[in-house]
Amino acid sequence: MKLKKSWLTLILALSFVLVLAACGGDENADAQEDNSSAENNDNNSNDANDGNDNNGDDNAENNDNDGNNDAADGEPVSGGTINAGMYSAPGQQFNPIFYGDAYEANILDFTHEALVTQDENLEYIPLLAKDWELNEDQTELTYYLEEDVKWHDGEPFTAEDVYFTYSSIASGEYVAAGGVRIDYVRFLEGYEEYRDGETDEFAGVEVVDDHTVIFHFAEPNVTPEFRTSFPIIPAHVFEGVSVADMVDHPASRNPGEVIGTGPFQLTDMIEGEQYILTAFEDYWQGTPHLDGITWRVIEQSIMPGMLENGELDMVAEPNGVPAADFDRVDGLDNVKTFTTQDFGYQYMGFKHHHRTAEDVEAGVINPDNWVPNEKVADVRVRQAIVYALNRQAMVDGLMNGLGSVLHAPFPEASWAYDESAFTVYEQNVEKANELLDEAGYVDVTGDGFREDPDGNEWVLNLDYPTGNEIRERTAPIIAAELGEVGIKVDVRNPREAATHFEVVEDDNTDWDLYLAGWSLATGDPDPAGIWKSDNPFNYLRWNDPHSDELIEQAVKAPEAFELDYRAEVYNEWTAYVTEQVPMVFLYSSDNIYAYNAALQNVHERPTGIYFRSHEWWLAE
Amino acid sequence: MHKYIIRRILQFIPMLILVTIVVFGLAKAAPGDVLSGERLDPNIPAEVYEMRREALGLNDPIHIQYWNWVTTVASGDFGTSMQYSGRPVADLIASRIMNTVYLSLFALGVTLAIAIPIGIYSASRKYSLFDYGATTFAFLGLATPNFFAGLLAIYIFAFILGWFPSQGSVSAPGLSGIELFLDKLRHLVLPGFTLGLASTAMYMRYMRTEMLEVKGSDFIRTAQAKGLSNNSVLYKHTLRNALIPIITLLGLEFGTLLSGAIITERVFNYPGLGQLFLTSITNRDYPVIMAINLILAVTILVGNLLADIFYAIVDPRIRYD
Repeated sequence: MKLKKSWLTLILALSFVLVLAACGGDENADAQEDNSSAENNDNNSNDANDGNDNNGDDNAENNDNDGNNDAADGEPVSGGTINAGMYSAPGQQFNPIFYGDAYEANILDFTHEALVTQDENLEYIPLLAKDWELNEDQTELTYYLEEDVKWHDGEPFTAEDVYFTYSSIASGEYVAAGGVRIDYVRFLEGYEEYRDGETDEFAGVEVVDDHTVIFHFAEPNVTPEFRTSFPIIPAHVFEGVSVADMVDHPASRNPGEVIGTGPFQLTDMIEGEQYILTAFEDYWQGTPHLDGITWRVIEQSIMPGMLENGELDMVAEPNGVPAADFDRVDGLDNVKTFTTQDFGYQYMGFKHHHRTAEDVEAGVINPDNWVPNEKVADVRVRQAIVYALNRQAMVDGLMNGLGSVLHAPFPEASWAYDESAFTVYEQNVEKANELLDEAGYVDVTGDGFREDPDGNEWVLNLDYPTGNEIRERTAPIIAAELGEVGIKVDVRNPREAATHFEVVEDDNTDWDLYLAGWSLATGDPDPAGIWKSDNPFNYLRWNDPHSDELIEQAVKAPEAFELDYRAEVYNEWTAYVTEQVPMVFLYSSDNIYAYNAALQNVHERPTGIYFRSHEWWLAE
Repeated sequence: MHKYIIRRILQFIPMLILVTIVVFGLAKAAPGDVLSGERLDPNIPAEVYEMRREALGLNDPIHIQYWNWVTTVASGDFGTSMQYSGRPVADLIASRIMNTVYLSLFALGVTLAIAIPIGIYSASRKYSLFDYGATTFAFLGLATPNFFAGLLAIYIFAFILGWFPSQGSVSAPGLSGIELFLDKLRHLVLPGFTLGLASTAMYMRYMRTEMLEVKGSDFIRTAQAKGLSNNSVLYKHTLRNALIPIITLLGLEFGTLLSGAIITERVFNYPGLGQLFLTSITNRDYPVIMAINLILAVTILVGNLLADIFYAIVDPRIRYD
């Protein structure tokens, strides 16, 4: 991968030279170039504003934008197809319950729908379900379904389909067949009994009538909409097919046979090259304006050229436009760009504890057995480390400013994120030095580096993986900045990502600091999956009873039924986390999406631009 | 001759076993597996991955995993891909192998059609302007990496001139007959020339050197001395003898083409074996990697065998009995 990156840089450099050469020969082209670079600057500043609005979660502003779009550009016209690009081919599993990669998701986003979807605050809004209600103790969620929804093959969509989807995921054959999404069923009543074959009826989902379905949770659930937001698959198509056979069933693989309720249907493909979506005329929210969308698999390095010459109309998830190409793409007159915070982020973790070799061997996560890592045990040391770092400079320098410093483990668009609730660290070398002095870490040997309070040598090891160039370049910067405040960091040779994460999981005992990435929870902000001490993904091995308590409190019924209450607890938790600094949040990059300027009615959302794609239309 | 061929084919078997052991060992020695690394999604509980590993047999001892793999392959089944949620590996390969065959043949055709005539001409006009030009071209061709030549070709012939498509193997589904053939051919031009470039340059040099070497040998001097025409000496005596080493090289060329295709296919997003190989490696999808490796090994072995057989045909002095 690394090799490829450097090639790309080379190629970019060369294509730049060629562009210049081409312009030099032609006066017209020269003028053109001038124009577009002026454009470029304008766009840049506009975009920066746009980005802020969206990130700043400004609803009204967002709606305004959409409204303006409609008003300015008149009545939608029907017809036309667009070409969208992605850099890798989907694995060709078009059954939502089994799909595996983001490229398949790109297609499924247009062909399948869930009961609910998320709005720009990441709150749930109706989709296939027009309304829902929760019972008093949040164990029963009743959905009232839209009544005129048709599957692509003309059959009506009913509550049976909902039951079928969830019971398939709950089936005992599901995981062995390759499914990984049991998070959507394991909190439902009767999951284990149904999985283990003790009963034929999945009690978690109850069909009341054709258009009413009730989800029964085993325990009061505070994230019921999230748990029931999985795309629905058609029962009539897979009737009589066992879950194990469903993976390879033609209706999971073959264009024309994949059936959903979405605005577009997958009708044809050339494997590994093109995936052709055709408008579904009987779509329940109205026939899409576009005739179709063709997904093309393209090589990333020539994407800007294809956007420029009109071969490509859209580049969006999962990779979008690389930051290095942003200026070029943004400068194109025929292309609009949209930047939004990526839900993935980078962090520098402290290894607070190490698991014992026996526990690693046995695969046990038991915080009581952990061995504390004294080198980073003092909270003042950890705070000093955040103060010593200039994270904004990393964003500006390494990512051309197309990213943002992360302060808390929630998406900025989320209701759980409140910037006033927690400490925002800015670089403050003086403060860092003060904290370290106070903690007793002073330089007694006079070599320019601090010793620990007992006067012993104090070196923090920093490990990082290869594969993410920006992250790789962050490591030496961190070491240098920590060196400025007298912390000696041993930056060790990077490992290949897979090995790196293996060691992260296995808790090598000489690890103190490491770089890695996580994604922010978009469905529900509950941080337990990564932060709770006994969770295997708690790579920090951070064992803090107060944090655990707050995490539990935030999802405890019945108080947690109130979003406000949860937000309050999360604010308290975030404040605690930022004070304790179990990890240093580094940054999240921006997702940069680009689409043809003639394409109207594109809803720019923090979650992407595929929302309500049936409303897209092409201006002349 | 027949005995020789049978003996050679029998020799394949231990070779292939060795290849599978080495490939399997290397694949296993590489860290991580298809479920490891940053593919982890916090919304998916960790135990699910453990269950998946168990189901895929990734927790079995290594020799058992190897045995399971070998026995399924021996029964004519390459197993199922781990990355592509259980798709049969044979399907994945079948859907791409023809593209790679077309591409390789096209590139080979380009190589031979350009390299041999130029090589001959260069040799017969040694140190002429043409010869120097050809030599310069050859060194440029050898020095230009595949991906770079590919991007250059895309930039010039697809973006600026718009003569050929830049990506893919066909422009739209649903074509048939002569239309499909022409469309596929158009899509082959850029990747085919790109892939053929380095070997064209190489063969041009080989051809020239071989021609010059044969020209200096005694029997050519004899032929010239007995008054044969220049053309007769050149084509009947020199060329035939100069081609012999080229044929050996061609036997090996298939393997080279396939490995070169990995990069070319990526740049042109031409969905062939090479592209599949690359994605499988990044995803640690062993069943696919191993199957493609086996195919590569067999291709190279068969290529060598064919070269040896052709040897006997073009060079009557060689006997395999």
